[in-house]
Amino acid sequence: MRAGRPDIPALVAGLALLALGGVLLLNALDAIDLGFGLFAPLACAATGAILLANGLSRSG
Amino acid sequence: METHDTQPNPEPTEPTEPTEPQPPRRRLTRSREDRVVAGVAAGFARYFNIDPVITRIAAVALAFVGGAGLLLYLAALLLMPSDEGEAVVEASRDHRNRALVIAGVVGLLLVAWPFLLGGGFLLAGIGIPLALLVGTGVLVWWLVSGEGPSGDPGEVARRAALGVGVLILCWVVFFGGAFAAAAGPDWLVPALVIASGAAILAGAFLKPIRWLVLPAVALALAGGLVAAAGIDVEGGMGKREYRPASALDLRDRYELGVGELVVDMRNADLPAGDVPLELDLGIGDARVIVPEGVCVATSADVGVGNVRTFGQDTGGVDVDYEDSPYASPGTTRVLLDAEVGVGAVRVEEIDGGFPVDNTACENTGDRASG
Repeated sequence: MRAGRPDIPALVAGLALLALGGVLLLNALDAIDLGFGLFAPLACAATGAILLANGLSRSG
Repeated sequence: METHDTQPNPEPTEPTEPTEPQPPRRRLTRSREDRVVAGVAAGFARYFNIDPVITRIAAVALAFVGGAGLLLYLAALLLMPSDEGEAVVEASRDHRNRALVIAGVVGLLLVAWPFLLGGGFLLAGIGIPLALLVGTGVLVWWLVSGEGPSGDPGEVARRAALGVGVLILCWVVFFGGAFAAAAGPDWLVPALVIASGAAILAGAFLKPIRWLVLPAVALALAGGLVAAAGIDVEGGMGKREYRPASALDLRDRYELGVGELVVDMRNADLPAGDVPLELDLGIGDARVIVPEGVCVATSADVGVGNVRTFGQDTGGVDVDYEDSPYASPGTTRVLLDAEVGVGAVRVEEIDGGFPVDNTACENTGDRASG
């Protein structure tokens, strides 16, 4: 059990994956119509957030 | 008479530190003691302070690059002096002979130039991808473990290899996930991505499981690409060609997972009025061949690829093509509704031919693509 602050890169990666998985699930349930116009920026944002959190945690 | 010595006093000088002995200047010479052929490879190894086996392997490898290694070896043999002597070129005391040897070396290099150039391209073709692979491996391992590209070359190579291993794992997960998304139930990949995200999120508070991040991202990207392209491989694989002999043989819907789907309606003797035709293709080409004098209204949805019909060629990602012309009274109008994940939709009047105008249609009606 970790005490204190959570691991920020893992936190960001987990949230980003939950968001991606949520969008994919909504598409599978036909709640949204997922196209590249939506998925491409979403995937870039999620990947970028993970990389950013990873890099900032190392530099800090 | 008193005389004075007029010799000048020397200027007081600052005490100087003892100078360190200068290391002997390195010379690139052919090794006599460690030679296999003429000592060129061993000489290079000694000059760069590396194991001569490496330079010998490089020389042998270069020999297979258009013969460049042999020519370079010969040039080095002529130009590099041996340990105790001079180069072959310098050894020629006769200026005429020396000029001839230099001219010979220059001529040799000119002859070898095409081989060297080809070898350079080949080396670039191997070296650049290899360098990219090592760099990617180091980057991936840095992301996974936090160990950067520092340390001795062996340690960097180890990290690059581990990173490449993780990368291969990610590719396996990517393609496996893509197949599962295209062939399995729709909820499977989203559920796996959500479960991975939840596990990583919980690990952030308990014990971080960073190794899971990259495979989970690969899985999410695979699922997303398949979903965005609308790829569905349930219809099987290969080439399916349908030639309905009459309008009764014409199905409402044709489906294929991966491959080429052809519906040739030239012998179908289609009735006047609207004839619906639905195509569903995961990856590949969907071709509809219609007889002359038939109007075609097209509604096509292509994830990545293009739609080519009657002088129109629309391509890109998320292609949504609509062409709804009106047909003259008594004319057949095919209502084509095509959905392709990755590939193309083509409407042809003859096999392999693309008519410019849909002359059977009364006018162009509504046409839109996006």
